[in-house]
Amino acid sequence: MSAAQISRKFRLSRLVSHQSVLLLVLILLVVVFGIVEPVFFRPRVLFDVFAIVGEVGLMALAMTYIISTGGVDLGVGYNLQMAGIVFGVVWGATASVPLAIILALAVSTLAGMFNGLVISRTKIPPLVTTLATMYLFRGISMIIAGTRTFTGFPDSFSAFSNTDLFGVLPIQAIYLLVAFVVMDYFYERGSLGRNLKGLGFNEKAVIFSGVNARRIKFGIYTLIGLLAGVAALIYLGRLSAAKTSMGDYLNFEVITAVLLGGTSIMGGVGSMRGTFIGVLIIGVLKKGFTLLNFSGNIYNFTLGVILILSLIAFSLEQQRQAKAGRERGAAEEAPVPQT
Amino acid sequence: MNKKIAISREAILGGILVAFIVILALTTNFATTSGIYSFLLDVSPTIVAAIGLGMLIFTGNIDISAGTISGFVAYTAGALVKEGAPMILFVPAALAVGTLLAGLNGFITVKFKVPSIVVTLAMNMVHIGFYATFLPQSGWIENLGADFTWFGRARLFDIVPYTFIVAALVIVVAAFVMKYTRFGRALYAVGGNQTSAVYSGIKPGATVMKVFFVEGFLIAVSALLRAMTRNEVMPSVFIGRELFFIAAALVGGISIFGGSGKIVGAALGAGIVYLLSIAMIYFGLQDYYQFALQGAIILIAVYITVADFGKIRKGLQRRFRKRAAATENTGASS
Repeated sequence: MSAAQISRKFRLSRLVSHQSVLLLVLILLVVVFGIVEPVFFRPRVLFDVFAIVGEVGLMALAMTYIISTGGVDLGVGYNLQMAGIVFGVVWGATASVPLAIILALAVSTLAGMFNGLVISRTKIPPLVTTLATMYLFRGISMIIAGTRTFTGFPDSFSAFSNTDLFGVLPIQAIYLLVAFVVMDYFYERGSLGRNLKGLGFNEKAVIFSGVNARRIKFGIYTLIGLLAGVAALIYLGRLSAAKTSMGDYLNFEVITAVLLGGTSIMGGVGSMRGTFIGVLIIGVLKKGFTLLNFSGNIYNFTLGVILILSLIAFSLEQQRQAKAGRERGAAEEAPVPQT
Repeated sequence: MNKKIAISREAILGGILVAFIVILALTTNFATTSGIYSFLLDVSPTIVAAIGLGMLIFTGNIDISAGTISGFVAYTAGALVKEGAPMILFVPAALAVGTLLAGLNGFITVKFKVPSIVVTLAMNMVHIGFYATFLPQSGWIENLGADFTWFGRARLFDIVPYTFIVAALVIVVAAFVMKYTRFGRALYAVGGNQTSAVYSGIKPGATVMKVFFVEGFLIAVSALLRAMTRNEVMPSVFIGRELFFIAAALVGGISIFGGSGKIVGAALGAGIVYLLSIAMIYFGLQDYYQFALQGAIILIAVYITVADFGKIRKGLQRRFRKRAAATENTGASS
């Protein structure tokens, strides 16, 4: 193959980027669900997808930061559950919403800080740390709650989750967009995003270039803790019941959204835009399955299969790129890495 | 290792285990024939599974779907018995199911170079969804009869269950394999240093693939040992069992970085983790304290394996010396 042919192939593959394929999948899903169940095309129903994925979306954005560094937070769902239970207990005991909000956010942020502390200060890998704290947070929330379910939150609190803008657009869409714009800005433009991906790509090199890796790691796990707390509040506003199953399977949804979006589980490569589309795909699936009266178990099964397939697809894509890179390296003499 | 602290980790674990048993024997009715019998009966599956996961953790991998694989194994055995299959048929079939499901995890992990923890996390979800969606009555089968339960309930000298004899056999065989076979040494090598393993002629991919099969086989044995003590099977009771297996292996000193640890350690770890949960029940703590306790145990056990205590001690000494010097200085100046 000549150098010109290869470079054309490269331009083509760049055009058909991961995100555009994802976008196509998203549109296809919407169309398919819409054909099978035409009610799906009603704006009120279609936009409800945003309301469904509000919590998962917020956590997935922070998770993209974390997975970019080669880390992961398996316990994020049970961190949300713990914050939700704390909110329920405090609200039940004092009937004060502001106090309940503050304490719920404090607990989830502290939980995130604990993860960050262990991961940045000891040699325990993030996977193992958060696997252990996943069980820990789950257990703590069960100990606090026992068999109780907390309900009956005031309308003034639920309004933060149940308001529709222009009568159709759930307010979660705004939360998600604002969080996305801010976090995407830091990810794509600032030094933070470069350092995050750098930590995933070659941690030693980043540390030797004078970056405080410990502070960044501590910061991102604290951030996902805080956002899990915020997500818990949004969740409670929408479903107004704090119980000990509210965090089940949330970590799967969050991680699936991020990996679907093209962020590599090995770190070093990531995309906030991809995560955003990944979150919407999950929302459309969930809404579509609900409309078709499929059970939650079919949804979980499908999500698990999607997660595995996206892991495989991403791995194949990387192997293909590495191969193409080697071919190009052989075709062009001494390739100069461009930054 | 330093000569002064040449007591092995396994000896310490054994000591803890004995201390636990003595405390339980003194404070409860643990030290009766039925108490010991039921302890041995219940700990056997955890021992076998902890050894399986321990071998996997040696190579730096993990299997979060170990619990849900057990569910499939139990279901296979139960469904075949219900169809009238003899033990010679349903046991191998159930073992094959476990081995193949773990092998699938291994295949995806090795072939596509994806971390096993994420693959098995996703598989865990696929399995749970599969139970409820595709198995009749979510896989619940009752009235299996003596064909199924006779082995699980049989005992030697009225005190040693047959299941514990199987577990003891697994300990001996696994310890032998780890110490004296090429495969065992390859496990240590792959977990310890992949590059030097490759240079000494070991194929890491093939080794990891094999250890997934072995793990799946042992998980299946463990699932059968547990299932065959009951007259019914319900796959969902196995959801979350991996927590005990992983905690047991890590408490037993299997390093998550691979390359170090002993089979006996994993078995002792299983005993300790299991006794802790028994103790909680004796002290009247609810079942859901288990999650918090096991999570904390995993974290502490892993911290002990990774922490460089010499370094920490030196750091503390330096800090104290500095503080002492500072107070001396202020004392002198005032």
